[in-house]
Amino acid sequence: MTKDIREDIAWAKINKDVLKSLEAPRKLYWVIIFIALAMIGVAVGCEIYQYQTGMGVSYKNNSHVWGLYIATFIFWIGMSHSGTLLSAILHLMHADWRKPIYRFAEAMTTFSLMTAGLFVLVHLGRVWMFYYALPYPSERWIWPNFQSPLLWDAMAIFTYLSSSVIFLYVGMIPDLAICRDNIHAGWRKKLYTLLALGWEGTDRQWRSFRITYLTVACFLIPLAVSVHSIVASDFAMSQQPGWHITSFPPYFVAGALYSGCAAIITLFIILRYVFKFEEYMTLPILKKTARLTFAISMVWTYLNLIEFASVWYGHDQASKDVLIYKATGHYAPFWWGMMFCGSIVPLTLAFKRFQTNIPVLFVVSILLNVGMWLERWMIVAPTFANGYYPWTWDHDQWPSFVQWGIVFGSFGWFALLFMVFCKVFPSVSMYEVKEMVYHRSQASKKNGLATKGAH
Amino acid sequence: MSVTNLLENWSQFRHKHPVGDQPHEEYKWAMSIDLDACTGCNACSVACYAENNLPVVGKEKYSHGFAHHWIRVERYWDADGRDFPDQGAQFLPMMCQQCEAAPCETVCPVGATNHTADGLNSQVYNRCIGSRYCEANCPYKVRYFNWYDYPTTDNVWPEPMNQQLNPDVTVRGKGVMEKCTFCVQRLTAAKSNARTEGRTVRDGEVQTACQQACPTNAISFGNLVDPEAMVGKQWMQQQVQLDKDKQAKDAEEAASKLRGYRILEELRAYPSVMYLERVRESAI
Amino acid sequence: MIDNFDRRDFLKVLGWGGAAVALSGCGNTSVEDGREIVTSYSEPAEYVIPSIGVYFNSTCAQCDAGCSIMGRVREGRVLKLEGNPDSSINRGKTCGLGQAGVQAHYNPDRIREPLLRSGDKGEAITWDKALELINSKLAGVKGEEVAFLTGGTSGHINVLLKNYLAALGSSNHYAYDAVSPSVVRAANKKAYGVEMPRLRLDKAKVVLSFGADFLGAWVSPVHFSQQYAQFRKGTRPEGRGVLVQVESKMTLTGANADRWLAIRPGTEGILALGLIHALGAAGMKIPGGIAQDYSLERVSKDTGISAEQITKLAALLKERTPSLVIAGSAAEGYAHGTQNAAAIALLNQVLGNVGKTVQFPAVVPFPQVLPTVGNRYALQALNDEMAQGKVKVLFNYGANPVYSAPAAMKLKENLGKVPFKVAFAHYMDETALQADLVLPLDSALEDWATSVPEYMAEEAQINIQQPLMEKLYPGTRGMGDILLALLKQRRADEYKGYEDFYSYLHSAVLQNKVALGGTGKDDDAFWTATLSKGLLKLPCDAGKISDKITPTAIALPAPFAADDAYPLQLIPAVSASLRDGRHANLPWLQESPDPLTTIVWDSWVEIHPKTAARLGIVEGDIVEVTAKNGSIKAQAYLFPGIHPDAVSVPLGNGHEAMGRYAKGVGVNVFNILDAVFDKGTGELAMHETRVKVSKTGKRVVIVKDEGSAGGQQMGRKIAARVTSDKVDLSGEV
Ligand SMILES: Nc1nc2c(c(=O)[nH]1)N[C@H]1C(S)=C(S)[C@@H](COP(=O)(O)OP(=O)(O)OC[C@H]3O[C@@H](n4cnc5c(=O)[nH]c(N)nc54)[C@H](O)[C@@H]3O)O[C@H]1N2
Ligand code: SF4
Ligand code: SF4
Ligand code: SF4
Ligand code: SF4
Ligand code: SF4
Repeated sequence: MTKDIREDIAWAKINKDVLKSLEAPRKLYWVIIFIALAMIGVAVGCEIYQYQTGMGVSYKNNSHVWGLYIATFIFWIGMSHSGTLLSAILHLMHADWRKPIYRFAEAMTTFSLMTAGLFVLVHLGRVWMFYYALPYPSERWIWPNFQSPLLWDAMAIFTYLSSSVIFLYVGMIPDLAICRDNIHAGWRKKLYTLLALGWEGTDRQWRSFRITYLTVACFLIPLAVSVHSIVASDFAMSQQPGWHITSFPPYFVAGALYSGCAAIITLFIILRYVFKFEEYMTLPILKKTARLTFAISMVWTYLNLIEFASVWYGHDQASKDVLIYKATGHYAPFWWGMMFCGSIVPLTLAFKRFQTNIPVLFVVSILLNVGMWLERWMIVAPTFANGYYPWTWDHDQWPSFVQWGIVFGSFGWFALLFMVFCKVFPSVSMYEVKEMVYHRSQASKKNGLATKGAH
Repeated sequence: MSVTNLLENWSQFRHKHPVGDQPHEEYKWAMSIDLDACTGCNACSVACYAENNLPVVGKEKYSHGFAHHWIRVERYWDADGRDFPDQGAQFLPMMCQQCEAAPCETVCPVGATNHTADGLNSQVYNRCIGSRYCEANCPYKVRYFNWYDYPTTDNVWPEPMNQQLNPDVTVRGKGVMEKCTFCVQRLTAAKSNARTEGRTVRDGEVQTACQQACPTNAISFGNLVDPEAMVGKQWMQQQVQLDKDKQAKDAEEAASKLRGYRILEELRAYPSVMYLERVRESAI
Repeated sequence: MIDNFDRRDFLKVLGWGGAAVALSGCGNTSVEDGREIVTSYSEPAEYVIPSIGVYFNSTCAQCDAGCSIMGRVREGRVLKLEGNPDSSINRGKTCGLGQAGVQAHYNPDRIREPLLRSGDKGEAITWDKALELINSKLAGVKGEEVAFLTGGTSGHINVLLKNYLAALGSSNHYAYDAVSPSVVRAANKKAYGVEMPRLRLDKAKVVLSFGADFLGAWVSPVHFSQQYAQFRKGTRPEGRGVLVQVESKMTLTGANADRWLAIRPGTEGILALGLIHALGAAGMKIPGGIAQDYSLERVSKDTGISAEQITKLAALLKERTPSLVIAGSAAEGYAHGTQNAAAIALLNQVLGNVGKTVQFPAVVPFPQVLPTVGNRYALQALNDEMAQGKVKVLFNYGANPVYSAPAAMKLKENLGKVPFKVAFAHYMDETALQADLVLPLDSALEDWATSVPEYMAEEAQINIQQPLMEKLYPGTRGMGDILLALLKQRRADEYKGYEDFYSYLHSAVLQNKVALGGTGKDDDAFWTATLSKGLLKLPCDAGKISDKITPTAIALPAPFAADDAYPLQLIPAVSASLRDGRHANLPWLQESPDPLTTIVWDSWVEIHPKTAARLGIVEGDIVEVTAKNGSIKAQAYLFPGIHPDAVSVPLGNGHEAMGRYAKGVGVNVFNILDAVFDKGTGELAMHETRVKVSKTGKRVVIVKDEGSAGGQQMGRKIAARVTSDKVDLSGEV
């Protein structure tokens, strides 16, 4: 096991190491950018085709009106919870091991929300009329329907996205000033100068900064919880078997945190390698993240079992039928796949030796997210295929290449945004790492003294 | 534009379902369908195509589940495991049930599907953004989405087939949801005529297209508010009440000897279509 | 008035010849003195208000039932057809096929101008040239070498057609209908004295139907559906009627039966006699000797219907009278079809239904306009003539024999022996493709005609078919106009007074104003009223049906013994919408699911799940159905409503031509029918083909409306059902 963040890294070295990520990443960076662009190309092609020809090319149908877009939408919304968890929740809990990795987690939040938003648009039959769903004043006094969870969705996501951007930005201000001060003249210098808002690091600035950051963090936590609760409401507030389940909001939030954590592990490993962040993204941090992920996986598993039990012992035959169908019908391989990936695979994380084993963690984290994506699909699809009205049951529906293509491309889109961000902005928080190093050196000094004194 | 304004408008837009607390005043359109008379002949369905500009999607699209029949005639078999269905099949014409508390309405993000004062579930094509949430939440799955732009699709309405299109009914473009309207264009015309003459629409004055075609008169349609209306008499006789999710008669000990029921009534959507059970002779 | 023209001939020209009613003097007409104007509905008259739909009455021409319709016309376009409530045939109702009449009119694949064909090419020519060509081709051809093949015809088209043939010196009118109930007609004639008695479902307490799909495709489905609705009413004095359907393949009517009995194919007559026997056993007085040999055990063994069921049925028939027994196409489709039908008629007689639920029909008192009903024998006869090279000029109107004749008849080959063939057609169908001259017809919604339905209810009526809008294409013509033009080539004098078919009809109606119920009315008013009503109701004396029992010797063969080479009976099913295939190009019908299988846009092979299991066939397997005269390949549909010894394939699809919606859809099962004929009438026996079914190894997903639950309600109360003892229908409204 390699060491944790050293307590004697010079601050200048921290600056240098992190700022390096703005300059020269490994070749792999460009490979990733290229692959991401290619994936986006696929999605854009599919979307153009779908836009021109009609939603029909995605192979949903009149009883099975939603498909992978909505499932993947939930997936990305879930993903967005990683940032909030690491930045805001762990910030309030004073878990300082989060410091080297929260920045990129926050970026993940922003970019997954942006990806999720695209799915809402891609899903609409008349995307060109999407603004009807926004509550803007019109001369005809027509408002959207405030009763619709979909509208709450639109508003919650918009609020969450804007808040996340603010949170990300506010937290970056001291680092942007460092960038401003260290980078050679050019467009980036201008950008950092502008964004740093004249940060000098005065006491007063620090004081205001702390308060602002804390406030936004406090605001963001309930927002994150509400966002996924609202996404859960899209289903829970409907009247469909397999959807109108009281435990859906906490279940969705747990699922969100779960997939967010898993994604952090994946990106942690990638960033650590690509930007040579071995010194900051240390294995002990990875270990903590892995343990956190394990804990959440068990919460998710528990909520799953609660859901099955309440359906099983309830009186709603249609819901029971959906559950049985999930386990035995055409979706069974995917449903069991979800159970395997979501509840069995995380058991590896219970073993110490895997908690820091990068190849294992990489594979596991990806499997966890495959499981969480399957979970969303298994929420959406089986209810359509086996709902209240047997005449319209449709067990043969299968998404077309257009749906798969857009889902595939969305990962490229996310990767592109993320990678560009990491190249333009410091993806490790320099000032907080410094704080961390400082605290640790202080602590070890104290410890050292105490030990000595004991002798 | 104040918040008050917004909220005030809101309460009008999304009123409670007009039963009990706010009874229907002039009209409450409703149906009853006698399954003992319905032979499953499909005339109603074809008539609806003719009246409401429904696209014929063709085999390939039909195979993907894009059938566009606002009224579909379902055929059920007994599940008793005998070699032959020797009591015949059971047919059921299914179209939008014009629910009083329609699950499709509450979920539409843009308010494109609404309740009218006449007790219809309306659909505003212009407003619909195609989220398909309404169909996701419809228990009967009777909403049909324009998965393609049928007016410009080959062989849907090729010249001169387009000349048959009913000018009283919009031809819907791609990306909007639609469903049975109870032939609202006919209702509007009849109401307008009646209003001109200073009265309300008389029973039998307006028929839906499916009702008009139906060779066995299995479909009755009319105004539940009108005490003279056949449909109201049927509902009354069968002791089926619009604003109940469980009919009192069903609680009676020895089953009530009546055959009116509403499908999935327990979901509390308060459908406006009552069905009469199919009868089978017990002596043979 | 036309000079030198005998009054009787005159009546013949106008179609009223031989009428059995008093005729008024012929004191008018306005044909010469004032040109009547066919109202053009697209030139706004005062009653045409833009944006307001106006209804005009006419007659549905989609099938021979002759329902009266009202067309909704707006801004000069016909938009929608509704039933005309004044007709006792359909009382304001229509079937799906009738609804699709507008699609026949607006069909994009209609032929738009006369085509002179040579080989695969067609050259557009003018009507004058076309008519002249016919004239010249007829020169030097003897009368008996001219033949006219049509579907069922009636009304004044029938009159002009007969007159034209007479003018040519020919009597060769072949009226062909591939799916007509012609054997039953003949049997009825023998038993009751009329071919199509009036069937009173509304009066019957029990209806026992031997494969008559009267709710689907049989004779006059809309009328019978209405009667059926009456029959089912619990508030009727007779109480709710009970329907028992006996057939080997479930029809729409069978699907509505209280009891559906799957009978071994071809043994319908045995069951009828068995029931007579059982009635006797139950104490009913049966005239001596009838059905003595048909003991319960034997009948049950032969028909495959349990003794218990037969006894129950006999008890029901005995207890609830009057009943009504109907013989349908499933009973008549065998070599012993006449015998089956006779046995079934005998059951009716024994039950005392004749005169009660089997009544004398309403009859139009003008023989010339009466329907010439089609049959299958006609085609057989024409085919023989053609094969021998006896036909030099052949006209074809309203029939598509190249499509619907069994391959065994070699009809296409024989057509090649006819030097000049004229097809009057709406589409370039399989037969038009073989013609030398193709003449495009007006659609039924732009043409004039009168028609007389074969089956009439309580009133005799002559239906008026009138244009509901202007012609879509200037190049098409009405059949009446064409016949008139052809007649003018022969009998110019007699017909010179009639500028067109409209003026001819106008004269014809006014000529007989009094007999048609217009006594004392002004000509114009009467004519306008007639057009506005869309039908003429005629007074007619109810004749008396012969209700005596005619125990003719009925010879029923033993049930078909198992045949290893061809073990299954093929039942070609007549679909209520596609019928004999003439409507295959109407997309609404193609997309309207078959009521029982819910399949669209294709053909299929119905096979009982047990038989399928034995052959290892699952739903969607492409199977080959092989008969002696060929084979077809189609998707298998596992269907519980069929006898395990039979398979069924619907008729109507499998077109090689006709138009974009018909071509290439499904398979044509007419092709593989065996040339077996009913011994009594010579009709092609439609159900006598035996086949074997084998898998091809290919499989498809069947395109149908039924979802994955396969027609099950999964314990939910969706299409609910109750037995008659659990419900009180008497108080219903
Ligand atoms: N030169 C000239 N000027 C005229 C007239 C004339 O005859 N000649 N006529 C006058 C008269 S009578 C009138 S009424 C006015 C009409 O003038 P405008 O009201 O400007 O009429 P349009 O240009 O027809 O429509 C306006 C916009 O509405 C959009 N639109 C259509 N449907 C919807 C919808 O559902 N929602 C929303 N939000 N937008 C929609 C259209 O795309 C279009 O961009 O012009 C007047 N001016
Ligand atoms: S049947 Fe479905 S579409 Fe119609 S009102 Fe009810 S929920 Fe809405
Ligand atoms: S499809 Fe249209 S009507 Fe239905 S919920 Fe979406 S926007 Fe509303
Ligand atoms: S009421 Fe009108 S819209 Fe509804 S199914 Fe009947 S014909 Fe179609
Ligand atoms: S037209 Fe009437 S009888 Fe035919 S399927 Fe429709 S409701 Fe039933
Ligand atoms: S039964 Fe025949 S005539 Fe009557 S509406 Fe149907 S197709 Fe037309």
